[in-house]
Amino acid sequence: MTALSRRFGRPAVTLVLLVTVTFLIAPVALTIVGSFAREWTGVFPAGFVTFRNWAEVLGLADSIGSQRSMGWDPLVVLPVGDGLTLMAPAELLFSVGLALGGVLINLVVGVPIAYAVSRYEFRGKEWVNAVSVLPLVPGVILGVAFLRAYPVLSGTSFGLIVGYSLLKAPFMVMAVQSEFESMPLRQLEESARSLGASWPRTFLTVVVPNARSGIVSGAIICWTLAAAEFNFSYVVWAKGTQPLALFLQRHISNSTFTKAAAAVSMFFCIVVAITLLLQAFGTRGFDTRGT
Amino acid sequence: MARVTIDSVRKVYDDTVAVENVSLTVPDGEILGLLGPSGCGKTTTLRTVAGFETPTEGTVAFDDEDVTHVPPEDRNIGLVFQTYALFDNMTVGENVAFGLKMRGVDPAKRRARAEELLELLGIGGLSDRDPQTLSGGQQQRVGLARALAIEPRVLLLDEPMTGLDAKLKRRLRNELGELLDELGVTALYVTHDQAEAMSMCDRIAVMNDGHVEQVGTPREVYERPANAFVADFVGTANVLDGVVSDGTLDLGFERVPAAGAPEGPATVVARPEAFRADSDGEIPVAVTERTYQGDHVRATVTLPDETAVTLRLDPATLTDDENVRLTLDPTALHVTDVDVEADSDGAVIPN
Repeated sequence: MTALSRRFGRPAVTLVLLVTVTFLIAPVALTIVGSFAREWTGVFPAGFVTFRNWAEVLGLADSIGSQRSMGWDPLVVLPVGDGLTLMAPAELLFSVGLALGGVLINLVVGVPIAYAVSRYEFRGKEWVNAVSVLPLVPGVILGVAFLRAYPVLSGTSFGLIVGYSLLKAPFMVMAVQSEFESMPLRQLEESARSLGASWPRTFLTVVVPNARSGIVSGAIICWTLAAAEFNFSYVVWAKGTQPLALFLQRHISNSTFTKAAAAVSMFFCIVVAITLLLQAFGTRGFDTRGT
Repeated sequence: MARVTIDSVRKVYDDTVAVENVSLTVPDGEILGLLGPSGCGKTTTLRTVAGFETPTEGTVAFDDEDVTHVPPEDRNIGLVFQTYALFDNMTVGENVAFGLKMRGVDPAKRRARAEELLELLGIGGLSDRDPQTLSGGQQQRVGLARALAIEPRVLLLDEPMTGLDAKLKRRLRNELGELLDELGVTALYVTHDQAEAMSMCDRIAVMNDGHVEQVGTPREVYERPANAFVADFVGTANVLDGVVSDGTLDLGFERVPAAGAPEGPATVVARPEAFRADSDGEIPVAVTERTYQGDHVRATVTLPDETAVTLRLDPATLTDDENVRLTLDPTALHVTDVDVEADSDGAVIPN
């Protein structure tokens, strides 16, 4: 047995890993490849290479009419500076913005909860812990409950933001909490206090910056999950610009699948960009360098 | 630097008593060790002085100022932890300068002060490094520099060397001891390692179960332990039973003069070095276990009355036989009373 595992162990593990990674990446790769195809009716896309799908998604093609037929909202024009402008579909920006709003709420609420739970012993600590992880329930259930509890928020952007933040809060709390628990939190805090920093100053200049990697991974997870959240959006959204997940679902089965593929690919790009951005912010943004 | 006075401090958590009636005075410039097993209350005592715990009863004073209810950030104390607790979001230099920044010292001045302290601690030139890139010993020095930068009234060290390897510990122990002496720092040094306490501290308070069992110089605590707990915790102690009558201590297998010791049954502490291997000795013993340690042999022997004791014997005079003879140095024995009060000295057999 040992001889066998020594002989084949490493190649076997490598093979399993390769197969798994390929299986996971294939849909993503296929979608991106498909976004450059003229048609995609069979298993594989065909008629390469065209940038038309991307151009239409980005609103650079002339055929605004075809876009309209596909159901896009009017394009949003973003000034990038130096006379350059970037046009993007409203649905994409809408979802990006909603998810960022959710992350902001999670940062303001989730980080202190994670801190309290890892730092202090208090009555009802288990309850706070349980309640902060409870929203892991499926989005449909939370959506229905949400509508019942806050009918006034139904169909509003703010409602979606609050809902996303609630739904994804456990990921933020868990990521930050594990970060706090991996460092000598009490000693860090007490060192800063002994050196003359008040508690709020200690929290902002020592505690939070030291947990930055947990906060950044929490923010990335929350953002990507919220930006693509379908179930909750489906229940709560009513009218106006659609969240991206709903929009894609509505059009994914149409013949304009290649355009949907381009939109999905663009979403991938945004996810990657935001992830890189948050990471860069995480390593530099929190620095309190320069005494 | 200041004199620290801990007066009748008692600390109760829910229904557990962490510290009971602890009174200690640390004169200006002295390093006082708080030595004891985990859970003995030494860290709680330290945290009370730091201001992170408010005593249930009793007071803490720096010089003549009562600081019992002063928050930690206003006490001007330096803290050094076992975990170093360096701020990873700042460079080494910024860590050291943090306290000065909180005091509004201008950037150029605090940078100069940080450099000066790092230089003093033998790690000059590391100012721009990230703390995580330093070795354990270097990180501990940064922690110390950070605590000293604010010129604290008292320096509080909580097991500062527990995470270091043995060799580094020995080296740092000597260096740190000298440095603190030189700077004339008043310090409380919490440790469970008696060797560390002995080499670092001017005096040691041995704590057990929330109480101070004995306060004294390292030598006093070792040679004249107040009770069996102190004897056993500080170094190796062989506790023997004996009876004192007419100025003579009868150990059963040996009678030695004991003028001045209280009459009656006595608990006797014999350090491992109290016995000597000697072919002309009067005490026949059986060696049940021996470990060669280079400069000495650590041996477990059975005395004539069947008591097992651990001894430190000279390899030059110890034979390889199982049965050897020992002599006893009566001046190295110490009669103690298990029930003595915390701060009273045990009676000592006069030399």
